[in-house]
Order: sequence, then structure tokens, then C-alpha cells
Amino acid sequence: MSEAGVLSSTTGAAQAAPVVAICKAVKRFGGLTVLDDCSLTAQEGEILTLLGPSGCGKTTLLRCIAGFLTPDSGEILIDGRDTIPVPVNRRSVGVVFQSYALFPHLSVAKNVAYGLRMRATPAAEIATRVKAALATVSLTGFEERYPSQLSGGQQQRVAIARVLVLEPRVLLLDEPFNALDAKLRGTMQMEMRHLIKRLGITAVFVTHDQEEALTMSDRIAVMRAGRIEQLGTPEEIFDRPQSAYVADFVGASNFWEGVAHAGRVALPDGQSVATALDGPVRVMLRPHNLVLRAVGGEAAAWDGTIRFRRHIGALMEYEIEVAGGRMLRAVALRDDTIAALAGGDRVSLGVRDAAACVAFPPA
Amino acid sequence: MRLDRAEIMDRLGVGVIVALAIFALALLLLPAVIVVVMSFDTRGYISFPPAGFTLDWYRKVFEQPVLTTAMWTSIKVGLYVTAICILLGVPTALACVRGDFRGATALSVFVLVPHMVPGIVLGVAVLFSGALLGIGPSIWLQSIALSCYVMAVMVRTVMARLQKLDPLLEQASANLGASRWQTFRTITFPLLLPAIMAGAVFTFIEGFDNLSVTIFTHGYRDRPLPIELLAIVQNTNSPLVAAVSSVQILLAMLALAAISLTIGLDRVNE
Ligand SMILES: Nc1ncnc2c1ncn2[C@@H]1O[C@H](COP(=O)(O)OP(=O)(O)OP(=O)(O)O)[C@@H](O)[C@H]1O
Ligand SMILES: [Mg+2]
Repeated sequence: MSEAGVLSSTTGAAQAAPVVAICKAVKRFGGLTVLDDCSLTAQEGEILTLLGPSGCGKTTLLRCIAGFLTPDSGEILIDGRDTIPVPVNRRSVGVVFQSYALFPHLSVAKNVAYGLRMRATPAAEIATRVKAALATVSLTGFEERYPSQLSGGQQQRVAIARVLVLEPRVLLLDEPFNALDAKLRGTMQMEMRHLIKRLGITAVFVTHDQEEALTMSDRIAVMRAGRIEQLGTPEEIFDRPQSAYVADFVGASNFWEGVAHAGRVALPDGQSVATALDGPVRVMLRPHNLVLRAVGGEAAAWDGTIRFRRHIGALMEYEIEVAGGRMLRAVALRDDTIAALAGGDRVSLGVRDAAACVAFPPA
Repeated sequence: MRLDRAEIMDRLGVGVIVALAIFALALLLLPAVIVVVMSFDTRGYISFPPAGFTLDWYRKVFEQPVLTTAMWTSIKVGLYVTAICILLGVPTALACVRGDFRGATALSVFVLVPHMVPGIVLGVAVLFSGALLGIGPSIWLQSIALSCYVMAVMVRTVMARLQKLDPLLEQASANLGASRWQTFRTITFPLLLPAIMAGAVFTFIEGFDNLSVTIFTHGYRDRPLPIELLAIVQNTNSPLVAAVSSVQILLAMLALAAISLTIGLDRVNE
């Protein structure tokens, strides 16, 4: 429905004033620099994901936006206004914590009403808004329960309702699905995305799970050691990674080492990849971009031996040993020819789409 | 059935532990039981076993204005001590756990000092310092001295609860728009309440029946119960003391039951 419209508006309208703008934020803990000249923007109504390995500073950045931490230098703007002088409880930023942080001594209704009560909202208005918020997250009828009497998924929805009822300008979510089991996680990811889109809230979402980032986001900021390594749509991040780090972190990659001459790297199967680099390079080969064929006696341009295979539902994943003892990973639909391949078989390798390969400088 | 060595040792071990536990329980309960039994004796002196059953001693307790006044005085001291300990102990605990200053740890150890000093020594020390400040022995001096003495219990109990409290709850509260005071009133304090109540039981009981600190600090017109009991025991041998003690035991048990009930109910919501 409106998803396509939102996507094009976020990519197309780069000149629109961002809702959240972080400019050269630096945060140190003792001698450790956790945020290092970190800059990014989130546009109206978009879901921006901070993706990166554990310890790269995602939570720290989120805590700076919420106001729990003050950056040592740099600016954090919301709607163009500097937030640094604004105390935590005066920022229009709602946080959904990883552990939910529901108030254990208050019922679901009172948890959701909490922020409105702190603002001295009239009781009648509180009642209607709490009712509406609980309906939004499908928790009508749970008003009098206590957090300890709810499942993990229900607790999370209370945490979301508690924040949404205040209609914050920005929603911050720190790994909100971590405590959920794999199946519920998938459902909640979709529900959350639909809900945020329906309400049109600008959201900054933290995860270290690349699949979750690809599912949930309008744009992804890949973080590395306190810096933004690349900022782009899921397609850009996945198809056009700007560094080997991003290529490796988002979607498992093979790296094949070659040499670039006059703007091209020749692949062993006879195709070639365009590049601006010259000399030794590493070429990203996505596992699904490798084609396998059984070989009999005839010689193949590029061949290897299957060392290991693994079922992943409708797909089959292979570990293939190629010349020089290097291992490559390939993924293919389990059709008849593929299903016949087993450990120890020799296969010829080819690249499905050379244009989808990207060359990087050597490590 | 053949038992091997390890199994025999295991069973022996369990047997020893059960026996020790029963012994400890007896040690804890027997004096109270004996006092209660003796309080019903028909003879005019304390001895065991009792010769008959009467409630006369209880009637006498409540007919003697000295005893009822003393009991009331001790209840007041217990309440004052508890109030002082809550008023000063809770902020101290907050400072020790949440405080971001040098010496927060030192402070948390320091509150233990008055409790480590023998009660008599503390009583004398407070008596002298009171004299310097112009506060003579009185229900107030006694309450202050006893507050020093048991403050540690309140501070330590509240600190233990605070350390287990998720700091994210307070951050969430601030994020939802609450000021620091609102956060304390609506989140921190209600979650600390069980610990405060548990501390209050101990401070009240100490205020009610402490003798060592009380001897040197109590007021001569407001004589508290432990002092009156001491006087009766020194001068007579009547089961009156047993009756007073039984009333005290009953009060303590009621207080504990009430607290465990409220704390127990609070746990349900966590
Ligand atoms: N209050 C603090 N004092 C000192 N160091 C801290 C503090 N908070 C975070 N750090 C350090 O900063 C670094 C980044 O922490 P942060 O919590 O932002 O990581 P993260 O990207 O959220 O990781 P994760 O995915 O594990 O949650 C870590 O090395 C952490 O040890
Ligand atoms: Mg984190």
C-alpha cells in the first residue's frame, strides 16, 4: 500500500528537513571512544535502523538521542532544534527498552497511563487515550493485569503502547525483539513495522541482526566502532556495499582474491567485474550468486569439491573447496540437479550475475 | 538393599542437619513458650511447671498505671525511632547506592559503626554528647540514641533492595515525562516500600525493648517498659513480668504477621 510511497519519498526527498539529525557526535567513556564523529539523519516517518556488531555504540547513540547521556561534542537536533539543553523528561522522544522496563507495581492500564498522569492530563482524556493505545497494540481486556502476568510479546506491546500514547515525535527501539523466540520475533517485526508506518512515526531502531534490519527498515546505518560505515536503503546496503566490512556484515559473503587491470577484474569463469581499483582486489560473491553444475570427466574453467551441505528449508547450502584450499559458500534452490549433488562431488562454479559482484581493496 | 558409603554419609548428613535445625528451633522458641506458660501460673512467684491456670496477672498488668504508661512510652519510642530511621535512613541508602561521589562506599560502611559499638558504650556516649548540647535524659534523647543504634538496619535493608532495582525503571519514568521527584514518588518509593517496612519492624522492636542504650538515655518521668521490667525483676519474683513479656511477644508476632502479609501481597505484583 503506502509502503512504496514512503520508500520513494525517503530516498527522493533528501532535501526535506530531517526529524532527527546527529552531527559529529563524540562520546568517550574514560579512554574509550564509543561514538567517533558519528553523523546521520532520520527523515519524517521513516524507520532508520542502526545495525552493527555488539559494542559498536548503537545503544550509546540511542541513549544520547533520548538524553540519558550527553555527547562530549557534536549536536543532536530534533526538528532542527538542539536537544542537548533539553532535560530527558522534556524531550518528545519515546524509548522502548530491550527489557521493556515496565513498572512492576502498576497494572497494564496504569503503565500506559503513566506518562499522561505525569503531564496532569484530565482523567477522562487519560481513560480514552489509554483505551485507544491498548486497542492499537491489540491488548484490550488486559487493563487490570500486572506485567508479571503477561507473556514476553504482550509485555513488549505494553511497552510500545506506553510510549505511543504520548504521541512522541521520535520513537527509539533498542533491540526490542531480543527476548522473544524466533517465531514470535518474525511476527512482531512485521506487526511493529506496520504499526509504525500506520501511525507515521519517525523511528530509530537498533539491532545487531542483519536480517531483522533488512526486514524492518526504510534505511539502514551500518555502524563500525562508533562510526557510520554506510547509510542507505536495504537494497543499497545489500547490493552495493561500500566496504568489505558492510558486505561481510550484511548477508554472508565470499571474498575471492583477484587482480584488477584497466578497470576490470577477471573472474575464473571467464566473466569480469568493473572496478575503479587497480592491482590486487577482493571481490564479493554472494552465496546465491554462485551457480553449481555437476562435472564429469571434462575440464571446467573453475571447479571445486563439495565438502559439506546443509538443508535450509527450500534452499540447500554448500561449502565448496576450490584451488588453494579456500572455501566458498553457495546457496541454491533445491531442484533436481542440485539435490543430486552430495559431499565429495566435484562441481563447476560460475557467477550468475557479474554485475552484482563488487570489488574491494585487499584486506 | 545395600547402601554404599557415599549414600550412608549422605543420609547421615541430612539427619544431622535436621537434628540441628530442630535444636535451633527449640532454642529460639522454648524461652518464649516457657514465659507464656508461666504467665498463667496461680502461684505468686515464678517457677516451672505451673501449678494452675489464671488470667489474674494479665488483669494486674492492665490495672497498674505504671506498667501501661511504660508500655505506651515504649510504643512511642518505637514509633519515633522508626520515623527517624525512615526519614534519615532512606535518603542515606539512596546516596550510598545512587550517589556519584567519592566516599559513597565509605558512608555505607560507616552507618554500621554505631551498631558495632556495645549498646552501653553508645548509651554513655549519647548521654555525654546530649549533656554538651543541653539535652538531658528524656524520651527524645533515648529515641535519638536508639536511632543511631539501629539506623544501619534500615540503611542496609533499603540498600539491598535498591541494588536489585532495575535502574532502567527510573530512566523509563523520566523518558515518559516524569520529573525526578515524580519518579521517586511514583516508582522508586513504592518499589522500596517492602524493604522500608521490613526495616521498620526491626527499628520499632529495638526502640520498644532495647535495654542497654535505654538505661543511660531514658527520661526519669517517661520510664519505658524495659526499665520498669528490670525494676520488677530486681525487686520481686512475680509472674507479672511473664505476663508483660507475653503481651510483648503477642505484639511482636502481630507486627511481623502484618508486615509479611503486606510484603507478601506486594510480591504478587512483581
Ligand atoms: N556507562 C559506560 N561506561 C563505560 N563504558 C561504557 C558505558 N556504556 C557503554 N560502554 C562501552 O561502550 C561500548 C559501546 O557500548 P554500547 O552499549 O553502545 O554497544 P552496543 O552497540 O549497543 O552493543 P550491543 O549490541 O551489545 O548492545 C562498549 O564497549 C561498552 O563497554
Ligand atoms: Mg546495545
